[in-house]
Formats: sequence, structure tokens, C-alpha cells
Amino acid sequence: MLRIESLSITLGEFSVHDVSLEIRPDEYFIILGPTGAGKTVLLETIAGIHTPHTGRIFLDTEEITQREPRERNIGMVYQDYMLFPHLTVEENIAFGLRQKKVPVHEQHNRVLEMFNLMEIGHLKKRYPGTLSGGEQQRVALARALVLRPEVLLLDEPMSALDSRSRERMRRELLRIRRVTGTTIVQITHHFDDVFALADRIAIMREGRIVQVGETSEVFLHPADTFVAEFLGIGNIIRGRSVRQGNIARIVPTRGPAFTAASSVTGDVVVTLHAEDVILSKAPFESSARNCLQGTVTGIVSSGSTVRVILDAGFPLTALLTRESCRELDLKEGSGVYATFKATAVHVIPLNSTG
Amino acid sequence: MRKVSLALTLILFLVISGMLLGLLFYSPLSTLLSSITSPEIQFAILLSLVTSVASTIICIAIAIPVAYALARYTFPGKRIASLVLTLPLTLPPLVAGIALLLFFGTTAWGKALDSAGFPVIFTPIGIIVAEVFVNLPYMVRIMRSTFTAINPRFEHVAKTLGCTETGAFFRVSLPMARHGLIAGTVITWSKAMGEFGAVLMLAGATTMRTETLPIALYLNISTGDVDLAIAAATILILISLVALCTVEYLDKNVNVF
Repeated sequence: MLRIESLSITLGEFSVHDVSLEIRPDEYFIILGPTGAGKTVLLETIAGIHTPHTGRIFLDTEEITQREPRERNIGMVYQDYMLFPHLTVEENIAFGLRQKKVPVHEQHNRVLEMFNLMEIGHLKKRYPGTLSGGEQQRVALARALVLRPEVLLLDEPMSALDSRSRERMRRELLRIRRVTGTTIVQITHHFDDVFALADRIAIMREGRIVQVGETSEVFLHPADTFVAEFLGIGNIIRGRSVRQGNIARIVPTRGPAFTAASSVTGDVVVTLHAEDVILSKAPFESSARNCLQGTVTGIVSSGSTVRVILDAGFPLTALLTRESCRELDLKEGSGVYATFKATAVHVIPLNSTG
Repeated sequence: MRKVSLALTLILFLVISGMLLGLLFYSPLSTLLSSITSPEIQFAILLSLVTSVASTIICIAIAIPVAYALARYTFPGKRIASLVLTLPLTLPPLVAGIALLLFFGTTAWGKALDSAGFPVIFTPIGIIVAEVFVNLPYMVRIMRSTFTAINPRFEHVAKTLGCTETGAFFRVSLPMARHGLIAGTVITWSKAMGEFGAVLMLAGATTMRTETLPIALYLNISTGDVDLAIAAATILILISLVALCTVEYLDKNVNVF
């Protein structure tokens, strides 16, 4: 268990204020926040690169606040991997074992173990400069994992990958977590990562943690308008996805089914931006695949736009201009039709362990 | 425009190579060889090699930590410090030489060194001191830009993998800086081989005592001994050529000046 107590640190233009977090053993914890929120500084302070001005850090029952990074048993993988360019893949992975003076024979075995776990044995004589992004990522993970860290810190691990490698890396991370039982703390601004990987998440803004909780909890009940706007999604619906021809039929845990342009099946979370939902008084003929009937349960105005919350069997939010809302004469209790395209529905496979 | 600029480039190339070749082929090969093997030039070659290697080693030892501090840490007065450290770059070597002469000749510190058995003025030790003073800023600048280009996160990762702060430097940053280090070393060394003004001021120009190659060139041309002067010049040209080729070959991105 990793516990952080009212941690504060300022480094140049980045700072962390009074952050307290408790990360459970074997948990996959994601810290989400906009650029410049101090996420990397927080991660580096946990790793021991910086000494906090105030606050304490505990790993299990021991305080590690003043301990040097090498004595913490915490691994770190940066967004740009930071593989040592003057060493081969094999030497990169063995680097930590050599520093810790692990006997050569055991070094060899543990490096081999990593080659198998990450499927990178064929790269062992190559230099990092010649590897693809995904390959570098796996080598960087292997280099950190070979020391069997209690906690693995990941700084935006997927941001430099294309979407296919990213999907593959997510599966890889879940597998690593299952096989090694390492507690993982990741920072990201990618919502897909959150649904696919996280057990719990924290939202960070200007150096402060503004909300911590189970993933679905935070998305369904954002603590304040910043969280709601930052998450910015409007609609998150849990359900099952079944294949139907070349599209997917989404069956929510409650409420009517609808279609999505996706090939993902099984337990899913789907997201639908509020601005992609069209409201009308009567159903109308269009290319959009989904038209659901609902009742208005709430209208929240903010500036020139209005959020209309419907009960369509499940809660559904639509973002309208003030004018459209007035012209449609919407009030609480009005009956209304919500239309959205199957391609506007984003389907994310659910973290099967979480 | 194209024709004019290309023609000008060609002319410049011909003038420079013509001048250098003219110098190299001024005296017949046999004369050149006998001049190079003469005791005076042999002494100058040896003295130049010893002093330049010594001053280069001292420059490396000082420049690496200083450049690292300038690249990695923030401290009060950093701008002033980096300005003063760079000043000898633009200072005429003669001025640097006279400053050194006053410093070692008139201050208590200089006298203490002298009585401790390290006489600096008009001695071979003075040659080393002058070369270090003039060349150190080059080494610091090259190493500073090299270290600045290396992301500090490499060291952060190394520390999480079991390195101490010093260990991370020697295992990661220094190996990653090797191209800059080699380029800096070659440049510092070749500049030390050719240093004249500061050496002349601090170490004087005594035949067969503080006579490095450039001093030999100067002394012999003053006495009209053109063949010996050309022998010294020839060696200096070859050293420059080797240094330039090494740096070009190593890394086109090393920021030298």
C-alpha cells in the first residue's frame, strides 16, 4: 500500500499542493488531469527524485519520504521511455540488476524472464534507437519490472503510440499486472485508459487532487463543474455489447438497447458526447441509427449553452444552445426524442478484473 | 547570383589551399625532414605534446563538473558566472597572458606557489597554466551544450534502477556525452598545441626551455631561419587538419563555438 500524506512541492512552474492519496495493494490507480496539473512532479516525488517541501510518503508501514530513489523499490517508466541509447536492449534491462549487484547467473535468468514476459527476446542485441515506439515501451517496462518493484509508476505511457499499439499495450499492462501483482500508478489524459485499466482514479487540477474514487463513480458523479467539464463527456453508459452484423448492439444495464459502430463485444462502457445528441419533439427520418424516447428531468444552463438531462430508461444528457431549447419549448416533464448516430457512440471494453 | 557565389567559393577554396600547399612545399622535402629532425624542433614537438596533453587533461577534469553544474543546476549568480567563465573566449590571448603574468608574478599566491616549488613564470609549468586558462572556456561550452542536450530524466530513471547520484552521472550522462567529450578534447588539445599569445606572456620565449612549436616558429622567423620555422608550421597545419577531420567525423551537431 502506498500512502501519501499532505504532500506539497514546487518545482519551477509546476507544483503539487497538499496532496493526500491512499493507493491499495495490487491496485491499478490512474491520475487524470490537464497538462500542467503537476502530475509528473507528483509521480517523480513518489519515486524519490524530488524531496517534498512538506508531507510524508509511506510504502506499506514504512515511511520513505527521505529515502533515496534506489532504496524505495518503486519503478518508473516515462512517456519517452528514456532507454539508455548507449546500451543494447539486453544491457538496458540488466542495468538495474547490475547496480544492485545481483549475481551474474541470476541476472541472466531474470533478464530471460523479462524477455519472455514482454516477448522481446529477439531484440536483445539491438540499440534503442532502432526500435519502434511499441518495442521501446516494452523494453522500458521490462527494465523497470526486472527489479520486481512493489509499485510501478507510469508517466503517460501510451501517449507516444498509435491507436493500434495503444490498444495492444493496454492488454499488455493488464496482463503484467495480473502476472506480477505489481501496484500500478499511471498518469494520463486518455479516457480510454481510464475505463480499460483503472480500478480507481484521481482527478488533479493545478496541483491539487479534486476527486478520488471508483472510475464509474467519478464519471457519474463528478465532484464539481471542473471535473464534469474536464471529463467533458456527458454520457457514460455501462452495458453489454453484442455483435449484430457489422455493428454492435449495446444493451445497457437498464433502459433500451441502441447501436454503435464498433467491433468490441462483452462488458463495455460507452461514451457519447452531449453535443452529439439531437433533441426533437417528434421522431424524424434520418441516417442516424438511434432514436430514443425520453422525458426531460432537468435543464442546466451555463452561458450560451444548456444541458438537458433526459430519462430515456438511463440518464442521457444533450447539449443545446439556449435558442434551440427555447424554440423546442422544453421544460421538466416534457416528452422528447433523442437522436444520435451509431458512429458517435464510443465503445470501450471494460477492465475485466476491475 | 548562382554563378557569382559559386565562383567566389571556388576562388576562396583555391586561395586557402594554395597558400597552405605553398607553405608545405616551400622547402624541398629533404630540407623539411632534416629541419623536423633537428634538435630544436624535436624539443619543441616534445614540449608541445607534453604541455598540451597535460593542459587538456586539466581542462577536462575542471570542465566536466563545471559544465554539468551550469547545465543542470540553478544557483544565484548563474548568468554572471557563465559570462565570466566564457570571457576568455573573446579576450585576446595576449591580454589573458599579461593578466596571468601579473597574477602569478605580483600576488602573494603566485609567490607562495613559487616558493613551494611550482614556479609558473617563464617555465614550462607556465605554458600549461596559460593553455588551461585560454582553452578551458571552450571545453566548458562544448560540455555544457552536450549536457544540456541530455534529458535529466535519463538520470532519474537510473536512480530508480539503483544508481546513486554520482553513479547515474558516470553510468548514464557521461557515456551519453562521449561524442561531445571527444570533440571537446580534440579541439582543446589542438588549440593548446597552437597557443602563442598567452604562452609568450607567461612563459616567455626561451630557446630550448619554453620553446613550443608556435614559439619555435616565432623565434626562427625572427632570426631568419625560415626552414625551421616552416618545419614548425607544417606540423601545426597537420595537427589542425587532423583535429578538424576528427570533429567533423564524430558529430556534425557538436556545437563548437
